[in-house]
Amino acid sequence: MVNPLILLHAITAEIGVIAFLWVFVELLNPTESRIVRAQVAAVAGCAALLFAWLVGGFYYIEVYGLHVKPLIKASDAAWVHSVIMEVKEHVFLFLPVLAILATAMLYRYESELMQNKDARVSVVLLSGLVVLLGFSIAGMGALISAGYRFALMAGGA
Amino acid sequence: MNTKALVRAAAVTIALIAVATIGSELSASFKQFLSSVGGHHWVGKSVLSLVCFGVLYGIFSKVSENTFSIKDTWFLIASVVVSGMAILIFYVQHTYA
Repeated sequence: MVNPLILLHAITAEIGVIAFLWVFVELLNPTESRIVRAQVAAVAGCAALLFAWLVGGFYYIEVYGLHVKPLIKASDAAWVHSVIMEVKEHVFLFLPVLAILATAMLYRYESELMQNKDARVSVVLLSGLVVLLGFSIAGMGALISAGYRFALMAGGA
Repeated sequence: MNTKALVRAAAVTIALIAVATIGSELSASFKQFLSSVGGHHWVGKSVLSLVCFGVLYGIFSKVSENTFSIKDTWFLIASVVVSGMAILIFYVQHTYA
């Protein structure tokens, strides 16, 4: 059975990433009301990503490290941990920094974003980066799950 | 809020995450130090990344004028790309070398 913590981690992280996709779309052609919606989405996205960070961290240390990692490392799919998981767990740390920055800029510039092209393009680029990194990390998560299933089928349990 | 300082702090924090990640694999004592911060080296890196972000913002806001431009954002994006690639290349090399 899938550990509920990993489901919670994946779902909240996806919500966070989709919230920044929403920010990205709202700011392509900003109006007063679109900027307000983008601010709400960014705060929700930050909260979701920070929650995913806490839940994922707890799962990684208390469950993955003790039960999943040894099985994967003992299988032919050991690269799934030594490359994919290592990259995922460290690149993930970029996301909260980028999300907090994009949210702070949305609140710093507010309606000025309609005139200040540099600030608007920056928030669009940062939101796009959160989406791109977030979906890449989700893909890595899927690979790690596949690696775990492979290790189980190969006789690990 | 000094946006230029915030973007620069983010760029340097992300580069430091990459340095700490690679450094902790190469130095057992550094990994031990990170573990002592949060009980696990990954928690140590998580805590230090937030602390660095705050401290660096404080430093940069004292020395940077608040004249934000898109160049600052491109500098941050370059930091993300280079740091991410450095982590990926390091672990591929570490695994297969």
